[in-house]
Amino acid sequence: MFHSFGHGLNISLRGAPEQQVSPCNNVGSVALYGADYPGVRPEVLVAEGDMIQCGEPVFRDRHRPEICMTAPVSGQIDKIEIGARRRLTSVVIKSDGAQPLVFARPDSLTRDSLQALMLETGLWPALTERPFGKIPDPGSAPDALFVTAMQTEPLSADARIVLAQAPEAFAQGIAALKCLTDGAVFVCQGRGDDLADVDDQVQIERFSGPHPAGLPGTHIDRLFPLKQGRVVWQIDYQTVLALGVVLATGSLPETQVIALAGPGVAKPRLIRAPAGVRLDDLLAGELTAGQKSVLSGSVLSGRQSAFLRRKHWQVSVIDRAQPKPTRVRSWLPIHSAAERPRPVIPTQALARALGPKLPVVPLFRALSVGDVETAEKLGARGLLEEDLALASYAAGGDVDLGALLRRALDVIEAQA
Amino acid sequence: MMRGVWGHNAVGWVIAASLLPVITGMVLVQGIDAVLRLGLCGGVILAWQVVFRHRLGVPMTPTGAVTAVALALLAPAEAPLWQIVLAVSFGVVIGELIFGGWGRGFLSAGIVSLAFLSLSLPAASFDAVGLFLAIAVAPAALILLMFGIVALPVLLASCAGFALVMWGAAPEIDLLATSGGLAFALLYLVADPVASAVTPLGRWIYGGLAGALTGLLLASAASATQSVVFATLLASIFAPLIDQGIIMAQTRLRKI
Repeated sequence: MFHSFGHGLNISLRGAPEQQVSPCNNVGSVALYGADYPGVRPEVLVAEGDMIQCGEPVFRDRHRPEICMTAPVSGQIDKIEIGARRRLTSVVIKSDGAQPLVFARPDSLTRDSLQALMLETGLWPALTERPFGKIPDPGSAPDALFVTAMQTEPLSADARIVLAQAPEAFAQGIAALKCLTDGAVFVCQGRGDDLADVDDQVQIERFSGPHPAGLPGTHIDRLFPLKQGRVVWQIDYQTVLALGVVLATGSLPETQVIALAGPGVAKPRLIRAPAGVRLDDLLAGELTAGQKSVLSGSVLSGRQSAFLRRKHWQVSVIDRAQPKPTRVRSWLPIHSAAERPRPVIPTQALARALGPKLPVVPLFRALSVGDVETAEKLGARGLLEEDLALASYAAGGDVDLGALLRRALDVIEAQA
Repeated sequence: MMRGVWGHNAVGWVIAASLLPVITGMVLVQGIDAVLRLGLCGGVILAWQVVFRHRLGVPMTPTGAVTAVALALLAPAEAPLWQIVLAVSFGVVIGELIFGGWGRGFLSAGIVSLAFLSLSLPAASFDAVGLFLAIAVAPAALILLMFGIVALPVLLASCAGFALVMWGAAPEIDLLATSGGLAFALLYLVADPVASAVTPLGRWIYGGLAGALTGLLLASAASATQSVVFATLLASIFAPLIDQGIIMAQTRLRKI
């Protein structure tokens, strides 16, 4: 079915990537960040200096030990950083290009065997459950599964080009994912030919329009809104590809396709690189002259980081704003901190910034003042951080709505 | 994360910049008098903004210019200057600054000031501002619509509500002679993004309410300025209630 998304904002930026996949540059090291796994209390399974193969577990969840995060490359554990309250900050792995681990492929695909395979390979944590955006419990099943096979964030890769690299793997991945749910599997894609085979369980849904037309939050709100008690899982197309590769070859693919783009990149293009790759390695010789900000992720929801973060398939390089010279004597120095955050003005840009059909300004206000009860009534349960990134941008970026939403979701989840 | 462009300050400056054609038109029509009143109102507003910025950290905003122009344009000519100063002070402080500045309140400072003035001087004749100014408001409307600061539904709904009542009641009023004031009030006071409703359906209801009330008051022989001011004041007060009602209805529908 075709859905035209009339709202949304076109953010015009120079440096859109050339939609052609080029091979990987030299990969030095990769990292996994503990903070990228909300709701997981990491228990590290390796020590510094250990040799590790691509696909071997690096750490697991203390509360749900069957959920483990695996190494995206083979190599040596370079550094394990532990932060405040003994929580894992990051694990850095130095790549040596050795062969990946080969997993035993299940003889027949059932829900149990597929779950076991996804848990073992570390693909399971790529599933995100709504409401609340956590990694789903092994053994549970959703009412519907959403495969997002499109990207509309500024400067992102065209999913169709990426999937054209291995169409059989994607088809195999989709076929396998049907085991996970008794409900529908929605494959949400852009215009063009079907990216998967339709049957009684798999549905193709086409979305077109400016961002956030490609966000799973938008799709779920249109196709399977989270009414009381419904649970939906979402998964991105690159993980489905990886699942297909595992089912075909027995080992994880060592690279994903990443968009290297933005006004600061000399030759913006798509590039093959492992998950968690060090951005300095990736960008060596790629930048134009001048001061740059390197963001892992898009300009909307990305963040500055030394390594590519989880669920980021693009690196955005933008010109760094020149820091203003600090004025010694401001005209009105008192209370300059109290001015921020400035109040939100309900412009049309803000009204168009939300994918799901929710009242954006009341939601913004409720989240800003920490009114969890009202935010829940307005539909915050069905949202995740990524859904609000455009609204934060449209309102001037004074308030990080995603962080406020996460706080509200934590309260709602604790009360539930 | 990149900062978007539609922050508090940017929106404020676009609104202030959109006033330029209106100010030009006003000066051409009213002459040096308008400049004096504009300067006086602007000075008073700036002074209050500085006081609140300095004492309480309330952000200053260029949208004070809207209030200044509203007063300079729509206040009765015979109003003594001290009355205008008092009205502007009341409007800016009670309508805007005590809530924490532009964007945190629910009324437009210009409306509160004009309502205050019109209650203080009930017998004064509020000048009719004619067609020339309505033409000057047109480019401003284009700017504000293009930048997405004013919501088109509010403008359309208030025009529709007004036209409907005018057609029904058919009062004998020279609409052309008052069109400038009405157009200015519609664009800057009725469709003020801060004072109007924020839900899509709420915007239609709010706009319709403001337009219809203006028409009704006009039909009951109030002056054009007074009609639009009290209609907008009432509609703005109801705007949060309209939004709340719509949100409640939608929440109930979503749950089913």
